[in-house]
Amino acid sequence: MMKDIVKLGLVLAAFAAAACVGLAFVNLATEAQIAVNAEKQLNESLSGLFSEAERFEDLSAELKSPDDGVKFEAAYLALRAGAPLGLAVKASGQSYGGPTTVLVGVGLDRKIVGVRVLDGKDTPGLGANAMNPTFFVDKSKKTTFPGQFAGKALSDPFEVKNDVIAITASTITSKAITKMIKVAADAGAVRLEASAQATQAPATGGM
Amino acid sequence: MKRLWKIFKQGIINENPLLMLMIGLCSALAVTTSVSNGVGMGLAMTFVLLFSEIIISLFRKVIPSSARMPIFIIVIAAFTTIIDLVMKAYFPELSKSMGVFIPLIVVNCIIMGRVEAFASKEKVVDCVADALGMGLGYTWVLVGIAALRELLGNGTLAGVQVMPASFQPILFFILPPGGFLVFALFISLNIWLKGRMQKAEAKSAAKAEEVAA
Repeated sequence: MMKDIVKLGLVLAAFAAAACVGLAFVNLATEAQIAVNAEKQLNESLSGLFSEAERFEDLSAELKSPDDGVKFEAAYLALRAGAPLGLAVKASGQSYGGPTTVLVGVGLDRKIVGVRVLDGKDTPGLGANAMNPTFFVDKSKKTTFPGQFAGKALSDPFEVKNDVIAITASTITSKAITKMIKVAADAGAVRLEASAQATQAPATGGM
Repeated sequence: MKRLWKIFKQGIINENPLLMLMIGLCSALAVTTSVSNGVGMGLAMTFVLLFSEIIISLFRKVIPSSARMPIFIIVIAAFTTIIDLVMKAYFPELSKSMGVFIPLIVVNCIIMGRVEAFASKEKVVDCVADALGMGLGYTWVLVGIAALRELLGNGTLAGVQVMPASFQPILFFILPPGGFLVFALFISLNIWLKGRMQKAEAKSAAKAEEVAA
């Protein structure tokens, strides 16, 4: 009896070990490519928001979300010739079908530079239209749902169906994304002002 | 050769995993909102099924029957993780749109069912035929359901607009109830096909008997 148990355990362990070795090799082969993909996607959306930026400084560790429902995953300061241009915040939160991730760019003038919806799990054909580049909430102007936030002042009320056009039949998605954008942009603007002052301070001190 | 063809054919109509055996339905209905998802899921599933069946058939004599379930799960999980990583690396868009359903292949009843009922008893070549047949049977149903749902629910096919701009998408087909409706239509189509095939077979058998007589 005891012998059987040991034998079963050994056979099981042998299969598990073989599977582990196999997976280790596959992981080794794909790891680099997966990291490159993630970085490429982020870089594309970052330079899409701040096309004039020369480099991006990672501020992810410094920026914390003031709202429990919204999580800040990363933050990047866009710099040109050492001076900040704007700040991009990658924020995620719960939407209708699961977590949704947005990238929000905010400028020095306390206006939103642009918004990208990076990832979402909402219903295709409804809430997922937030990610669809050919779905227009304003058909005459051809603005997408995230597109309507470009140039919006932070002092606006950010209310769906008031100053934000909702995606038809997807009010929950519209509200969730609008909230994420607002929280991320507000926090981003505060942090951006701090770094703008920091870069100006030595210049005024030298006069 | 004829025997392998017979095994291969089983999975496509007669014993179609989705339409006749009716297993592995949850993920099948969930991913069939677009054709590209259907193709991706079908191929990923076929890959895992094929390699799990091969490995388990190869080692069927050394797998103790009392520990076979955990061993099957280890093998299936390993191949599922491989396809998940490969898709993340080389098809990031597809991997993103299918999300959690790729890792969930591990618990797909079709694979567990075929491994238990077929691969653990049969020879490797038979298992290859069975896995390819079952995989193809799974894939054609997914692509068929997805094509109908995407066309009516979104006006597109594999992301390309095919319906005229005046066509108002019928959202119902993209949502779960539409999935069930289309799925039921496919079941009836499959039963009809099966009936016709059986009739044709009976006819040819009768003819062969006449000739022999």
